[in-house]
Amino acid sequence: MSDSDLPVVLIVEDEPDVAETYKLWLQQEYEVRMAQNGDEGLEQLDADVDVVLLDRMMPGLSGDEVLERIRERDLGCRVAMVTAVEPDFDILEMGFDAYLSKPIRSEQLHETVDNLLDRSEYDSLLQEYYALVEKQATLEATKSSAELAESDQYDELTQRVVEMRDDLSETLGGIEDDSDFIATLRGLSDDEDN
Amino acid sequence: MKTTERQTMYDLTSVLEFDALSEVRPGSSILISGPAMSGKERLAYDILADGLDKGDGAVVVTTGDGAGSVVEEFRSLVPDLDDSQLGVIDCRGEGGTDEEAIGNAHAHHVSSPGDLTGIGIGITKALEGLHNAGNEQGRLALVSLSTMLTYTDKKTVFKFCHVLSSRLDSAGYIGVFTIDSGAHDDQTLQVIKQAFDGMIDVRDAEGGGREARVLGLAGEPTDWQDI
Repeated sequence: MSDSDLPVVLIVEDEPDVAETYKLWLQQEYEVRMAQNGDEGLEQLDADVDVVLLDRMMPGLSGDEVLERIRERDLGCRVAMVTAVEPDFDILEMGFDAYLSKPIRSEQLHETVDNLLDRSEYDSLLQEYYALVEKQATLEATKSSAELAESDQYDELTQRVVEMRDDLSETLGGIEDDSDFIATLRGLSDDEDN
Repeated sequence: MKTTERQTMYDLTSVLEFDALSEVRPGSSILISGPAMSGKERLAYDILADGLDKGDGAVVVTTGDGAGSVVEEFRSLVPDLDDSQLGVIDCRGEGGTDEEAIGNAHAHHVSSPGDLTGIGIGITKALEGLHNAGNEQGRLALVSLSTMLTYTDKKTVFKFCHVLSSRLDSAGYIGVFTIDSGAHDDQTLQVIKQAFDGMIDVRDAEGGGREARVLGLAGEPTDWQDI
């Protein structure tokens, strides 16, 4: 955990004015870290960082290279690419979780960061849901239906599975568009590698 | 599951005559489970072919057949097939692209059945292609989860199914996914089932032929019926 309980956003941006503007917009709701280039960004990055705003065109390490190193380090953070041009489809294949094209407005920035945080919540809910389903399945596979009918533990599990499923549907807003969908799938493959 | 704006139900009764399949809600994902060689894949393809006949788009995620042969298969199932209504994600990770066989279908190749991100990108492109071709609704078949389970653990496959179901929900599609019930232990099957809205069980009937039942889509599980 970081010092505050606020989610941590790391801004990697070589233009100081632009970086300051983002910080001003975000600092009420998030703990903001700043880095002026890719190397500094990688130094500032640790397990506390939830979202990285990564400028694609920077002197030194490019945004793409920084992204690659972030993924190699297997940190659970989400990365939004900030770009001057509207990217084509390849953005998803490149491994970014979202993109923002300049100039960025305040509400747009908030929306993207919130959305990326929601997605992390969806991932952890899904993880929790799986754990319940697996427990339930183990009971079903090892006990007779008479034993299950008698079991309070099974009864309780079944109820929690239903509740959890509803919770997940409510969080589904997080994966309605294509980049959410792909990024969530990418997250699954990353989990598996751990 | 959230309801989508469009509420046209899917009627699968011309493929399988069960009342429970007469009004399948958009966004539903159905598991087709049965032993090897019990016609699961045939059933999944028939559900898609039926949709193509009715003007729905079709997306096939295949781990066994090449994209070209899937397109050929659908040309024979749907004589006046418009290729642009069909998308195929070929996950075998082998062979070249058979351009001629694929025609105007939306084909995408993925390196392996374990490459979930690649499969997701393929599905996204197929959905986009079908949308651009004017399809407002459609059906997706994934054949088969059993092969995916040999590349990835059940936890990942479960999550994949859940995430894909949500994507289908927002697209207003329905999905059918096949699994070989004889290839996995009971616990695995129980877990995978939980990622779906309903299930069609198929088996060989005692007196020859096949039978099926429907669980979880509308009301109580149905009785076994010849198909």
